[in-house]
Amino acid sequence: MGTKLRQRGKKTVMVSIFNRFILLSLLLFSFAGCAGVPDVYRDPNMDFGAIRTIAVLPFANLSREPSGADRVRDVFTNALLSTGAVYVLPTGEVARGLSRAGIVNPTAPSPEEVVKLGGIVKADAVITGVVKEYGEVRSGSTEANVISLSLQMMEAQTGKIIWSASATKGGIGWNERLLGGGGEPMNKITEQAVNELIDKLL
Amino acid sequence: MNLSISFYKRMLLVVSLAALTGCAASREALQPATLQGEALKIAVLPFENLSRTGAPLKGMRQAMIGILRTDGANILDDDSLEKFMARHRMRYMGGIKGDDAAAIASETGTGAVLITDLENYSEVIPPKIALVSRLVSTERHPKILWTDSVGLSGDDSPGILGVGLIEDPAVLTRKAMGLLTVSLERYLAGKKTTDRGVPDRAFAAKFAPKLFYRSPVLDPGHKYTVAVVPFLNKSSRKNAGEIVALQFVKELAANGNFKVIEPGVVREEFLKYRIIMEEGVSLSNADIFFTDLDADLVLTGTVTDYQDYQGFLGTPKVAFSTILLDRKSREVVWSSRSRNEGNEGVYLFDMGKVNTSDVMTGQMARAVVEMMVGK
Repeated sequence: MGTKLRQRGKKTVMVSIFNRFILLSLLLFSFAGCAGVPDVYRDPNMDFGAIRTIAVLPFANLSREPSGADRVRDVFTNALLSTGAVYVLPTGEVARGLSRAGIVNPTAPSPEEVVKLGGIVKADAVITGVVKEYGEVRSGSTEANVISLSLQMMEAQTGKIIWSASATKGGIGWNERLLGGGGEPMNKITEQAVNELIDKLL
Repeated sequence: MNLSISFYKRMLLVVSLAALTGCAASREALQPATLQGEALKIAVLPFENLSRTGAPLKGMRQAMIGILRTDGANILDDDSLEKFMARHRMRYMGGIKGDDAAAIASETGTGAVLITDLENYSEVIPPKIALVSRLVSTERHPKILWTDSVGLSGDDSPGILGVGLIEDPAVLTRKAMGLLTVSLERYLAGKKTTDRGVPDRAFAAKFAPKLFYRSPVLDPGHKYTVAVVPFLNKSSRKNAGEIVALQFVKELAANGNFKVIEPGVVREEFLKYRIIMEEGVSLSNADIFFTDLDADLVLTGTVTDYQDYQGFLGTPKVAFSTILLDRKSREVVWSSRSRNEGNEGVYLFDMGKVNTSDVMTGQMARAVVEMMVGK
């Protein structure tokens, strides 16, 4: 009788230790989630209020849609100007500046090239970007639109990166898997992604 | 029984008379055009085709001339026009430059030139047609006197059991020509072409740009001279940049706050200075229009989507951005991005659906212009 009780007591202690271990693991996992790498970088020494004029360079296109980068740049330029916080140079003026500065690869300029361009077009900062995804994605029979882009801002005086951020919108979620429908329109998710990036900037 | 038949007959008569009165009203409105139009000799230029397909352009032009002549307009004969065009090597039909405008006036006594662009044409049932016309004065510095557009689809008003469906492209073309010439003749008669009024809330909400920036520099009370430069076309539709620019020319001219420079004159500047826009208008490009054409503003933009559809199923889709460069500040004073689809806000029986991208572009352009002037 006494032996049986002792064995049951041992078992209870083992279960309790196991439960504690599980709980501790879950807590650790959840804390690990909180400690995720942030997708925004802001130079703490930069006075962003001093930036009045920005040149948005052509974005690099890593998506399958050939005009994806141009479309995103067009939306971003308009959205940034519509905030009223900064003045964004017209794309034609930026193209003239790139040509005069002799920048061969405008999607990835060197710090020296940024300084040169800033002097020609009289910009305080230069923004470059990469469109990583633009268009439809498929998973089994489900499809949806997705956009993923990252941007970086460089100070025109030094060519130093002062801000960087990325955003992803759309994609296949529960709604698309259960209800179908192809997700939200491309134009809409582009505006959402661009607005998220502008919120991270301003 | 007799009484009921008599009642139906009376009803039929009333309905018929009402219909005839409608016709009489539209014809009556054309009468003064005949009187005033006599003095103004008009040269109807061959139509420019901006649609992607082949279209019976000669037939359309002759139909338009026929309607205008029947209503008493003074039209320059084809022989004289052809000789003039050959003499001056005039090949571009989408506009007229200052030298040609002055020459046609002195050599043929023409007072105005009618320029028409075919923006969309499809013979697939239901057929579709879209035209934009403008009447330009024959002076060294040509002025846009009148401009209007029409965009029709055979299934615009299908009615019950499809009785209103138009399946014959010729019928639709005649209808489009009729609407356009009525508008022109109303102008010639000294009447306002259309009472546009202030756009209602639903219109503004549907077609207003989704993003916009308006500089306080823009003065709503000032009358600006604007040069409209063809939009950069990044859509898959050929000529979309020219189509959107023409819709802006029409809407800016219809709005009282702007004096629009004839697109033929703007094109001449491009050729003269060999301007090639790869990524849009730069400030140095804009300076040419500011100084040479005495423009206060330069309007341009980028078209990213311009989709039409054929048949019954589908919806047009248009997206473009607009920028307005100011001469004084040398800055962008307006920037916007518009995007719409023809079935937006349509929930029941296709009521309110826009069937052609040209009509939708016109409405989107109108919303932009109204917001530019601060309405």
